[in-house]
Amino acid sequence: MTRVPLLSMRGISKHFGAVEAIAGVDLDVHAHEVVALVGDNGAGKSTLAKVISGVLSPDVGLIELDGVPVTISSPSVAHDLGIATVFQDLALCDNLDVSANLFLGREIRTAGMLDDGRMEEITRQILRDLTSRIPTARTKLSTLSAGQRQSVAIARTLIGNPRLVVLDEPTAALSVAQTAEVLTLIERLRDLGLGVILISHNMNDVRAVSDRIEVLRHGRNNGSFGATASYEAILAAITGATHYDVPAHDGWSTPR
Amino acid sequence: MSGSQSSLREANRTLIVETIKQYGGLTQVELVGATGLSPATVSTIVKELLGAGVVDTQTTTRSGRRAQMVTLARQVGLAAGIQIGHRHLRIALGDFAHDVVAEQTLPLPHEHRADTSLDRAVLLLVGMLERVGASLDEVVGVGVALPAPVDTATGMISVRGVMRGWDDVHVGTVLAKRIARPVYVDNDANLGALAEVTLGVGREHRDLVYVRASYGTGAGIVINGQVHRGIAGTAGEIGHVQVEPQGDICRCGSRGCLDTVVGAPALLDPLRASHGTLALRDVVQRANAGDPGCSRVVADAGAAIGRVVAGLGMAINPQCVVVGGELAETGGTLIDPLRAAVLRGVLPNEIAPLTVVPSALGARAEVLGAVELVLRSTEVPVRLDEPGAAPPGARAAG
Repeated sequence: MTRVPLLSMRGISKHFGAVEAIAGVDLDVHAHEVVALVGDNGAGKSTLAKVISGVLSPDVGLIELDGVPVTISSPSVAHDLGIATVFQDLALCDNLDVSANLFLGREIRTAGMLDDGRMEEITRQILRDLTSRIPTARTKLSTLSAGQRQSVAIARTLIGNPRLVVLDEPTAALSVAQTAEVLTLIERLRDLGLGVILISHNMNDVRAVSDRIEVLRHGRNNGSFGATASYEAILAAITGATHYDVPAHDGWSTPR
Repeated sequence: MSGSQSSLREANRTLIVETIKQYGGLTQVELVGATGLSPATVSTIVKELLGAGVVDTQTTTRSGRRAQMVTLARQVGLAAGIQIGHRHLRIALGDFAHDVVAEQTLPLPHEHRADTSLDRAVLLLVGMLERVGASLDEVVGVGVALPAPVDTATGMISVRGVMRGWDDVHVGTVLAKRIARPVYVDNDANLGALAEVTLGVGREHRDLVYVRASYGTGAGIVINGQVHRGIAGTAGEIGHVQVEPQGDICRCGSRGCLDTVVGAPALLDPLRASHGTLALRDVVQRANAGDPGCSRVVADAGAAIGRVVAGLGMAINPQCVVVGGELAETGGTLIDPLRAAVLRGVLPNEIAPLTVVPSALGARAEVLGAVELVLRSTEVPVRLDEPGAAPPGARAAG
């Protein structure tokens, strides 16, 4: 079946001096799909996420959104293109409430004044859409658990109706109960029709919610797996026990 | 005037109880935010509810300040239900008033491992208890629903190969060792049946069949108000009734079982060419959105399941067939052809015509059944009239 991917990346490379962070990486993400990026430390997962979110510009490579070539030159351009990213540090303000955090830097104003009522209303709507467990839009961030903060960071990506959400290690350092909340949120994002890129080390979490798992190894693609692929096959690709050709774009790749 | 005043108070009281139920436990300040009521109203109503024994309060801290944490009162302890599905782990904490005080779902990977999933189940349960301000000592027991036939005496899966990697796992023993509470393991369809006959649409029936149409298919049989499990727990395993003598080999080793025709892989494969790779959840969602291909797959599955259920109906003559599981979320798309096939296959009678209805409890039927199994297996008075007679497992006063 041919459908135009939401995001299509071809031959993306990025060097930092002598360090080849990513070299000729391909990645497709469709709407209504969770794609996991997995790999060892330094495999290039976070670099690729930064390229997608406009933090880094690739040295070479083609990026297409809905089949149209685009240049994602800055995070604000990414935001305008409908790409939202949650980085590991979340970048939330502890001293502000949930609503203020969601609209941080993108506050709604009417006649020059902050429209708190409207922002709170939208916050409540988003929290309800995500069926999140955050009690109120007025809760201070400092009172929330790590899992709830991650939920707020994910909720924040929904401001401005994005089409693609990039999550960098959303379940790292969370308890099982908090992980349950975040994974359920990721399922909700998919149900809402968004494309999701999930970067994670936890094979259990990745296999629980992903439709497709893309392995990166030393900055290169090393296999593309469906949700039913075994732990062993994925781990073998991550550790380099098996090598895969660059995926043929119409199906799963086969071992070389 | 006074009438509307008291009904307003009544509505506010309900709102507060429902909100506490939704979040497990909230401070009074958070209750104000979550309900939109004034702090004075919340304070008054919480005091009333505390007096009536509906809620408990504990002192806690929020942002370094003292705050009153409000939770639902649990007079006799809690029962935990754990449903381990093919792709989800669902846990519910219930009390003896049949109220669920907390509930959470964790997505699981395809063919998840027994050790990881049981470990996560324990950690999630402990996390949920923390959230409602309870300790493990208050849990009177843990009920576990598995998507496989279970020998309830040993708490092990009684047919090899049905759940890959779980064959030699003593599910009950593993969990009981970790949490030091009684653990009761049963088949998920049996527990769905138990929930429906206790809390759901089957309450007025003595004989019913609960059909669970999910990643695999199973049935729970209730005869004269009691779940009938059979000697090895395989009663009602309709997923392994042969429907195609020349069909594919099933996980159980037989050929052409119902599950090879209506199990998740059998539903998803025919859609791959036209719809791409879908998850079972997508098929349900798209069938509900009116997608003809997905609706067709679900409807055909309904008819195939119905033909097998008809045989079960002839064998035990139930008053009612309740249909649950993920596929039942498509409503009439699954149930109409299923009902037609059942009614065509059973003897029509004038005394009590067989009805085929959707589950009243939906996706929660199995986990509520697991809670119910614990409540039924625990010898604790349901209502405590004298506060002095604290049963084992009850929380310490204060």
